[in-house]
Amino acid sequence: MIYFDNAATSSPKPLCVVNAVKNALESYSANPGRSGHKASIKVAEKIYGVREKVAAFFGCESPENVVFTANCTQAINFVLKGVLTKGDHLIISNLEHNAVARPAKKLEENGVMLSIFNAFAQDLEEEIERYITPKTKMLFCLHASNVCGRVLPIEKIGRLCKKRGVLFGVDAAQSAGVLPIDMKKCGIDYLCIASHKGLFAPMGTGILIASSPINETVLEGGTGSNSISLDQGRDMPEMLESGTVNVPGIMGISAGIDFVKKRGMDSIREHEMRLCKHLCKKLYGQKGIRIIGFDENYSVPVVSFCVDGMDSNEVAALLSSKNIAVRAGLHCSPLAHKTLGTLETGTVRFAPGLLSDTRQVDRLCYVLSDIVAKKF
Amino acid sequence: MNEYVIATGTVTNAIKGREILKRKGIFAEIERMKATEKQYGCGYSVVTRGNIKEIESLLRQANVKILKILPR
Repeated sequence: MIYFDNAATSSPKPLCVVNAVKNALESYSANPGRSGHKASIKVAEKIYGVREKVAAFFGCESPENVVFTANCTQAINFVLKGVLTKGDHLIISNLEHNAVARPAKKLEENGVMLSIFNAFAQDLEEEIERYITPKTKMLFCLHASNVCGRVLPIEKIGRLCKKRGVLFGVDAAQSAGVLPIDMKKCGIDYLCIASHKGLFAPMGTGILIASSPINETVLEGGTGSNSISLDQGRDMPEMLESGTVNVPGIMGISAGIDFVKKRGMDSIREHEMRLCKHLCKKLYGQKGIRIIGFDENYSVPVVSFCVDGMDSNEVAALLSSKNIAVRAGLHCSPLAHKTLGTLETGTVRFAPGLLSDTRQVDRLCYVLSDIVAKKF
Repeated sequence: MNEYVIATGTVTNAIKGREILKRKGIFAEIERMKATEKQYGCGYSVVTRGNIKEIESLLRQANVKILKILPR
């Protein structure tokens, strides 16, 4: 199978990640933060070490602000629902994934005011300033679009938020491990990460780094301390980590970060971007195929395209029949597709990975030309 | 040298405290809170030795939560 769905999850996972998970299952199978025996404390120490590694990787000073979640969506929900209350104003972009758009809509139904800025505005700062009011509590936006790859200038946005006293949250699902992110430099209060994409960790892992307080919890339960109290408590990260953490997954995160550092984030991204440019070069001349929103100067390695007269899922099914894996449809991002004008048909999304190569891209183009020529 | 038990609550807090002390060459180990500390809820403590005022100051400066300090 030719796998071009790395924006959904990176595959295959590096051997070091596989081994880290296996090793965790074999050697770190005591529950951390619950018992006093050596095995439990040993695992707790390993987990703390990963918090330190994650904090350093993303420019956060305090490892206790690193929270391990089930996925990026959960991290985002913890932020939005843990910080915003009725009467607050939230600003998001018109490219947001449902991980942001759905909880934002839910909050709007519960009395939070919502504004949506145009991520393609000529002067983005001016565009965002239009929406900021005295009631604006937070601006939450993606770093890179999972549909068209568009990258937003989070350093500029963060500076603006700081200037205007607005909390700044970032959905880094498509950019963590792909683009350098320094929370301090960018003025990010809340960074939400899908560790199973650019960090090559197992699915079922996510990270929230909260350098500003989260006032309310969305999930309560056992934290391994002060059990006598029915109050969840405010100690980070345990406040947001009710229940047993995913120890094998967290060890996978650690190995994934080591892998990215060893290979070089820029090197991995440049390889994948070369493939995106190779695809675009081949498709630009192809009648019946349109590239949607890709700009190599402002993108992560994700390219969406449409085949004229065909639903994107139909195209994807035909590609799948030829052993080429892509994702099609709305990619859980109706806001993005509405902005890009592809709500009706969706798009086919090409997201290469470390093991993808030009021969595979050529194969994709060959099959696409057959699809366009209706040879199926 | 006197030994002290510093009740810190969560395991993350305890490990953070221990790391800070170890980096300064101060003896520190983690253990589960015992009966004497139970009034502060269950959780973890850092067991340490040395100048307790200096140790407490180091931990507080680093924002390590201290529930109680008890002599062992």
